[in-house]
Parts: sequence; C-alpha cells; structure tokens
Amino acid sequence: MVIVSSRLGPNDAAEAGPFGAFLRQFRKNRVGVVGAVLVILIVASAIFAPFVVTHDPTRIMVGPRLAPPSLDFILGTDQLGRDTFSRAIMGSRIPLLAASVSLSSALAVGLVLGLIAGFGPRWLDNLLLLVFDTIRSFPSIIFALAMIALLGPSLASVILVIATTSMPIYARVVRTQTEAQRSSEYIAAERSMGAGTTRILAVHILPNVLGPLMILVSMDVPAVIAVEAGLSFLGMGVRPPTPDWGAILNDGYNYIDRTPWLVIAGGIPIVLATLGFTFLGEALRDIFDPKLRKDL
Amino acid sequence: MKDILGSLNRRTLLRAGAALGGGVIAGMPLSRAIWAAQGKVLKVRADGDVYTLDPGFYVGFGDIDVTNCIYSKLIKYKPGSEWGWELEAAEKIEQVDPTHIRFHLRKGITFTGGHGEMTARDVKFSFERVIKHNSPIKPDWGPLDHVDIEDDYTGVVVFKTPFVPVWNVALPFGVGHIVSEDAVMKATGNGSSFGLKPPAFSGPYVLAELKAKQYTVLTRNPEWSGPKPGFDEIRIIPINDDKTAERAYKAGDVDFTRISLDSFATVKSNPPAETEIEEHSSLRYYWIGMNIDHPKLKDINVRKAIQWAINVPQILDAAYAGQAEVATGTVPPSIVGHRESALIPPEGDLAKAKEFLDKAAVSDLNLTIDCLNESTYSTIAQTVQAQLSQIGITVEINVQDSGSFWTLGVESEGDRWKEMQLSVMYFNGLPDPHYATSWWVQDQVGVWNWERFRSDHFDELSAKGVTISDPGERAKVYHEMQDLMEESGAFRFLTYGGNPVMHRTTRMKAATLPDGRPLFLDFKPV
Repeated sequence: MVIVSSRLGPNDAAEAGPFGAFLRQFRKNRVGVVGAVLVILIVASAIFAPFVVTHDPTRIMVGPRLAPPSLDFILGTDQLGRDTFSRAIMGSRIPLLAASVSLSSALAVGLVLGLIAGFGPRWLDNLLLLVFDTIRSFPSIIFALAMIALLGPSLASVILVIATTSMPIYARVVRTQTEAQRSSEYIAAERSMGAGTTRILAVHILPNVLGPLMILVSMDVPAVIAVEAGLSFLGMGVRPPTPDWGAILNDGYNYIDRTPWLVIAGGIPIVLATLGFTFLGEALRDIFDPKLRKDL
Repeated sequence: MKDILGSLNRRTLLRAGAALGGGVIAGMPLSRAIWAAQGKVLKVRADGDVYTLDPGFYVGFGDIDVTNCIYSKLIKYKPGSEWGWELEAAEKIEQVDPTHIRFHLRKGITFTGGHGEMTARDVKFSFERVIKHNSPIKPDWGPLDHVDIEDDYTGVVVFKTPFVPVWNVALPFGVGHIVSEDAVMKATGNGSSFGLKPPAFSGPYVLAELKAKQYTVLTRNPEWSGPKPGFDEIRIIPINDDKTAERAYKAGDVDFTRISLDSFATVKSNPPAETEIEEHSSLRYYWIGMNIDHPKLKDINVRKAIQWAINVPQILDAAYAGQAEVATGTVPPSIVGHRESALIPPEGDLAKAKEFLDKAAVSDLNLTIDCLNESTYSTIAQTVQAQLSQIGITVEINVQDSGSFWTLGVESEGDRWKEMQLSVMYFNGLPDPHYATSWWVQDQVGVWNWERFRSDHFDELSAKGVTISDPGERAKVYHEMQDLMEESGAFRFLTYGGNPVMHRTTRMKAATLPDGRPLFLDFKPV
C-alpha cells in the first residue's frame, strides 16, 4: 500500500522504474521544470556562495557608499559601502537554512506526534489535538513577534518560531492519515499475524503518510522564505551585519528614492525563490496527488 | 472607518458640501477646497511615541509635544531663531532674588471636568510633586525647595540654592506644566503619576484619542478662555525613523516632519512640491555608552580601548553622509559649557586602543551593542562593530524597538540593565548645560544614567554649576564635568546630529524653536 508503487503501471515499472516514471511525468510539467531550475540555481548559489561573491559581503567601505551598479559592484553598494551583489548571494544561505532546519524539525516532531495521536489511545489523541489547535489558534505573525520579543532577534529564534507554527499542521495531516490506515483491513491482517505496533507504524503507515507530507513541506518552503525575509525586514531576524534578503530589502527601503537597486537586489531573489519553490511544489503535488494527476 | 461614519451626519455633510462648493466656486484649487471643508487639521509627525501624559514624569520629548497643547505653564518658549520665553498662564513673573521667583497667574484659566479655576495651589502641587514622588526627571527642578502661596493667584517658587536653568529648563518645559491638584488627587489618591490618562486639561486642546504607536488626536478645549490656536484639530503621528517620516510626508500623511541628515542634501536640492525646508542646529547629543558595572567592562583599560578604537568621523560618514559635526561632549555648540575639543581625538588611534587592551590582559572579548531599530542607529552600531573588530573585539548587535530600548538601563523595569554592555545612545537637549549633564549624577544611576557612571566630584560640580550665573565661570564647571565623563571611559561622544525640518506651505506656517523642535500651538493655518 505504498502510494508511489501503487501508481505505476506494470509497463512503466518495467521500462524505467519508479524514478524514471517520475522524471517522465515531471518533464511534462513545464512550470515545474522552471521551478526546479530556479531552485537548483538558488540552492547552488547558496552552497557555492563563497566562490561566487565578488567582495567580502560584510566589509564596510565608506568611499563607495550607495554607489550605482558598475563593473566593480554589479548591483551597486549599500549605505555602508558593502557590495550588494555579494550580500544578495550570501544572503541566500539564511532563508534556505531557516527553511530547511525549521521545516525538517517541524516535520520530524509533527510526524512523531501525529503517529502517536493517530495510533495511540483516545485521551492522548484528544490532548495532542488540543495542543495542536492551541498553537494554530495564534495568528502566526503575532505569535512570531511575541516569541522574538521574548527570545530576542536571531536566526535561532526565527527557526524556532517557524518550526513551532508549522509542526501542528504536519502533525494533524499525519494523524488523519494514520487514523485512516489504522482501521484498514491490511493492518488488521498484519496485527492478526502478530506484527507489533512499531512494525505496523514503520513498515505500513509511515510510507503512506510521507508522500502527502513531502508535498506539504515543499509548498511551505516559499512561505517560510517570505516569513524569514519579513522578520529580517522588520529587524527581528538575523542580526546585522549578516547578509540576508530581508535585511537588504530593509536597507534599500530607506534609500529607495536615491538607490532603487538595493530594493531590487533584496526583492528579486525573494520573488525568484518563492516562485521556484511554489512551481516545484505544485508540480510535485500534481504528480503525487492522485486526485490531481492529469493522466488519471 | 467606524470613526468616520460615526462623525458623519446630515449637518456635517451639508456643511462640508457648502464649504467645498463655495471654495471651488471661489476659484480655490479642489485639494485646498477639500482641506478647508474638512476643518483645519494639523497633521504632524512626532519623532517619538507618547509614553506618558503626566508632565511631571515625562519620558521623551514626544510627550512634551502633546502636553504643551493640553496643559498650561507659567511661561512657554517663544518660537523663532533665538531662545526666549513669553508668558502663558502667568500674567506676571519675576526673579525676586537668586532663590525666589514670584508669579501672578492670569485669572479665568479653568481645568476641564469641573475641577475649577487654576490657582497658585495647583502650581505648588504640580511643582512639588516632581520632588515628592521622586520623579525620574526631578533634576529638571534642581534644588527646588517648595512653593509659597501668597493668595489665590500669587505664589513664590523657592529654591534651596540659586538655580540658573529655571528659565530655560524648568518653567517653560516639562516639569513647568500645571495640573489640577483636585483632579490628580482624585485620580491617583496620592498625587503620583497618572500616566496616559490625564484627569483634567488646562490648555487650548484636549486629548480626543490616543492610540499608542499610531496617533494622538487633540481637539479644541471648549473651556479654554485664552487666545485661540489656529487649528481645530491636531493629529500627531509618531514615526521614529526619519526616512520613514520623509516618505509619510511625500505621501501626504503628515505636513511637518524632521528630515534625516543623510537625505537632507537630496531633499534640499529636489524638495517635494509646496514645501519649505528649514535647517536648524540640534541640541541632541549622541554617544556610545558603556555599562561600567558589567563584568566585561569593569576594567577601565577595556573601556579606554573601545574609546580609542572608535573612529567618529568614519561613523558620521556612514550614518549621516558626512553631514554631521563631531561632538566634543554632551553640551552642544552655542550652549554655555561646550568644549572646543574632546580629550580623545575623534579619529581615535588603533595602536593606543591595542595598548589599553593589552594592559587589560583580555583576549577574545565578545560584547553586545544595543541600538534602536532605526537606520541611523543600526548603521552606527555596524560601523562600531567593524571598528572594534580591528582590535580583536567581537560585537553582536541587538536591535530593539523603541519601547524595549528605552527601558534597557532602567532598574525599575527589571534586570536587563545587568546584561547591558555597549549602547548607541542619544538624549534630546534644552538650551542649558545642566540638561546635558544632570543625568549622570549618582542619583540617576539606573534611571537615566545607564553607564552607571559615579563620581562624587561630578555630583558636586553638577550642584555648583546651576548656581553660577557668570557664563565664563559656568562654562569651566561644565567643561570639567564632561572631562570627568570622558575620563571614566564610559562615553565615546559622537555628534549632535542636526535638525532640518520641512513643512507644507499650502497647509501651515510652521513655528519652531531655534533647534527646529516644533511648537504646535503656534502653527498657523494658511
């Protein structure tokens, strides 16, 4: 009852295996391909940022302050004379780090709690649901601002806030999927053959809930990038002088009349990253979600 | 929207329609006609939030911008390019001798809410409560002893020793406001601070609405018997960041604002339409403060290393586009007691800084610097961070919003003062050196003295400085006080900034003090 294998026809599997079939379907989705290219470019620029930057992104040079784009400074300089291009490239690391750490933490915790809620006793399910709903009942941006006011602005605070607010969503999805599987006949058969809870969860239930979860996570990445940039824009994200898209946008906003390239340098990467991850997420959803598959 | 609909009725609609139609027929441009139809509303930017409306316990100058309009003082500052004062609630006021000031109140000034006419008892109550309740801003009253009442309208302010700043600091400013004894006692029980809820008003305006960090609306006081101010309503919008305020001005949200020094040249060369720009020198002073009581900064050699590592002109280039002058202390030019130069040269000296650090025998020093969440302060903090890295000090920047920042070093607000290390600071000034130094007496440690600087000699000089009327002799005292501050290593003076302002000429004739601060009561509609 693994979703991926159940969707492949016998000929597909014989010709190229599950991955080949996935690639074949993915290539048909042009928007998805554009998204994948953007994501690859952004991730690559984050990984290889130290080799791509043309200047030290934190080095202050008062001389070329707010300089326009030139051969020396491709996207000009900010109010402290720092190279904006280098800051934008290095700045890609923070949102991607925030997204990967916060969402993987939320996923891990949500998965465990969701499985417990879905497979555990009713009272524990009710208790966990109460916790999930309590966390979700706070407007996320207000919750973020309150948490950061308590913890102080830092990347760790941003990650903690995003992980905390995302976790209940994943946990609820896992719980619903687990509950659905729990009462199915094949689980009852497994149980009658003497399989323990751990085996049932690990071998049967987990693979079935992972697919929808991965789609959910990929769709959440752009939201996390936007939240992280938003908090940094408000001065509640990473601390100066760490390069970050939101911080660049904030610097640029103060000089928008004179030096629009600062806002462009901070804004364009956010747009491209959110578009890239959204396109990619939607393509994955189209492929993995049976209700939306075009070939069904 | 609810407010707008709530205030809209048939009469106002007809009145507005008639005014609008009349204006357009009279050849007035449509925008002007619409403005006239709305009533005369002054929309101004304040550079700080309103923290309290109790003038005896004011926190920032943003508070005073409002209290000036809703209470009366014996005297008030006169707008113009020279510092001076004029009578407000007083009909007559005179310095009888160095420790006595006799005043005679104008008759017929009433407090709202049925709290009666303003009398000398209210003046006595208002002035003495600042000392009695140990207000954080009690240095404004210096050696005030008490107020004698001679009759309902006449009283004598008595000082223990002469207090020269009384005419520049106490009477025309914050602590000089007169509140109703009856109303305040009923509201508080003991005369202590009433915070943001004024129990009665005595000025030309009353508080109609206050939304923290959003706006303050003042409307005409129907019981006001004095000269009528020009505007029907004043809307004060707090915008901490100058650059944000510039954009608000361009968008038409406010018609008066200060401009950042950084963008002054640009705005001056290409001003917004129908705008007048005025250039004023500022009495504000900026510095990098160091908490002497923090274990990492206890050693004076560490503090001196930081002082010498900070290159002030570099900071001013980055934060003010080189438009601001280097400060020599807390007393600005044009005020008695201004020093010609600081003890440490503005450029500092990295070799000397390293020597001090070696003497302190510290390595891998990690410090934090707190600053306001505004572009100027963040830029200053980042430049200091880069400069201190040159002598091996790592600095982490804590950007704080104004509410959090302005309580950092206040002991009554918690223990955060213990964690405070470096901070990008500024205080606003008044035209007397006492106001630029009195915050660092030992009584103010943990109140406004966040560096926790202590010096018996400084306290003696502070007490002496206010008694001397000879400017030359007085200057020597304040020079020495600033020397002591600098020698403590707890201060690196940066600049006095500047105070260019702009206003819309189609809306008002602005009235400012010599340092550019607005006097809303004296603004005239056009």
